[in-house]
Amino acid sequence: MIQVAGVSRWFGDVVAVSDVSFDVGPGVTALLGPNGAGKSTLLRLLCGLTTPSQGTVRVLGANPRGDPSLYRRIGLVPQQEAVFERLTGLAFVALAAELHGLPSPETAAEGALRLVDLDPGDRRPLSTYSKGMRQRVKVAQALVHEPEVVVLDEPLEGLDPRQRLHLIDLFRTLGAEGRCVLVSSHVLDEVERFGSRVLVMAQGRLAAEGDFHDIRELMDDRPHRLRLRTDRPHALAGALVASGAATAVRLEVQDPQSDRTTGSGVLVDTVDVAAFRATVAGAAQQAGARLLELTPLDDDLESVFRYLVAPVPPEPR
Amino acid sequence: MSTLYRLFLRSQLVRGRIIGLGSLGLLAVCLGFAVGASDGAGPRDGAELVSEYGLALFVPVSVLLFASAVLGDPNEDGTLVYLWLRPVARWKIVAAAVAAALSLCLPLVVLPMALAGALAGGGGLVVGAIASCTLATVSYVGIFTWLGLRVKRALVWGLAYILIWEGFVARAGSTPATLSVRASTRSVLGRISDAPRDFVEVGSIAAVLVPLLAAAVALWLTVRRLASQDVA
Repeated sequence: MIQVAGVSRWFGDVVAVSDVSFDVGPGVTALLGPNGAGKSTLLRLLCGLTTPSQGTVRVLGANPRGDPSLYRRIGLVPQQEAVFERLTGLAFVALAAELHGLPSPETAAEGALRLVDLDPGDRRPLSTYSKGMRQRVKVAQALVHEPEVVVLDEPLEGLDPRQRLHLIDLFRTLGAEGRCVLVSSHVLDEVERFGSRVLVMAQGRLAAEGDFHDIRELMDDRPHRLRLRTDRPHALAGALVASGAATAVRLEVQDPQSDRTTGSGVLVDTVDVAAFRATVAGAAQQAGARLLELTPLDDDLESVFRYLVAPVPPEPR
Repeated sequence: MSTLYRLFLRSQLVRGRIIGLGSLGLLAVCLGFAVGASDGAGPRDGAELVSEYGLALFVPVSVLLFASAVLGDPNEDGTLVYLWLRPVARWKIVAAAVAAALSLCLPLVVLPMALAGALAGGGGLVVGAIASCTLATVSYVGIFTWLGLRVKRALVWGLAYILIWEGFVARAGSTPATLSVRASTRSVLGRISDAPRDFVEVGSIAAVLVPLLAAAVALWLTVRRLASQDVA
């Protein structure tokens, strides 16, 4: 539904987006990256709000720039907080519905407001709305015309945890309906809840795309880290090093002041998790150790993200 | 388009702006009364009031305040995206903005100047004030709507245009005067009212066509700009 091919966007000497290519289909895709990574510029390019300096953007088969009829099928939650301050929430969303040519703008607006858990009967102007309410009314105006492509730039910012969960559920529902939902965020915890498909931006470039578990698996230059719990950590650590399955081991010292049991264990770095899993049982047996637990420590999105946006550590001499 | 028109109209109804311009209009009426009540005041005095206060200051500054903001404000505060990203032809957005600006500027500007003209001299001066101020308002609405979308700090640029081009360069000779809204509308005022002949610097047809043409070109540029610019 979205095709981006070799897209760059620069503003004077500043390169905001550099040679980015990807396709996005139905479902929820998270656009992830630290502040200043180029996420908002990329989303603006997808909506035709700015033109690529190089490359092409196609949304639903058309160029989003200069074709207003396409906007009937796109919904955007922009990053900026500004809204038409004097309008009520209902009037603001009804305005969007009317400009989209919906037959019953007010009815559609009421439905969209309920979708984001706002009261359509609230007669207060938007200037009195909290940040969370503004975010939700922005989401409502983006969804009022039931677009096929929904682009959301940091839509959960300023929301309380309950509202966040509500909107995350809403986005997942939209994705499950077959809409293309592209959500940007720099909060990893949020992104992990959207689903596992991510686009990771770093310094204007697309650092990775796909399922973040798969991305982690492909990152050969970064050893995987696992935690083992055992009754004989020293012996097991020695056996693992001797077997060659671990590139590095570190013993965790249990804090005598703590009653936690997770502190006694072995942290293991390995480049090949599958080979390690095949070896570890034999190594434990050889060391006469009981293997109590094996937990991957960097298989989550945060680790993937940290690895992708951080510089690669220098090779040891 | 009526939805957009109502939105723009509502966004322009800023109390401070209305009060400020209402005061300037009231001042025009007071000046008209003062001129009319003066002993020995002739047709030139009334026409000078409409020209020097109305066409040189009140009309352009008032229109600048409204027209530069009608698209300029949403462009700068980022709300333009809520209009831009809709399946609406760009010219319709511009037309609605211009209609809203005209709806406010015409009564706020033309009525006080007509009243001032009536008090200062009456007769041809009233018709001249209405015609010249209406023509100037239409022209400036087009120019300043474009300026508001085109540049940041449009008020500063607009004032510079009013002071430097309309107030100085356009008075430097007959050719620049032909390209001046102020000189053209002053000529319209001169022809309709009983003002002295030196009011008429521009030919009749050019005096009407140049301001209208300036507005039309500015509106065309505004539509183009809106379609091609980056939106925040």
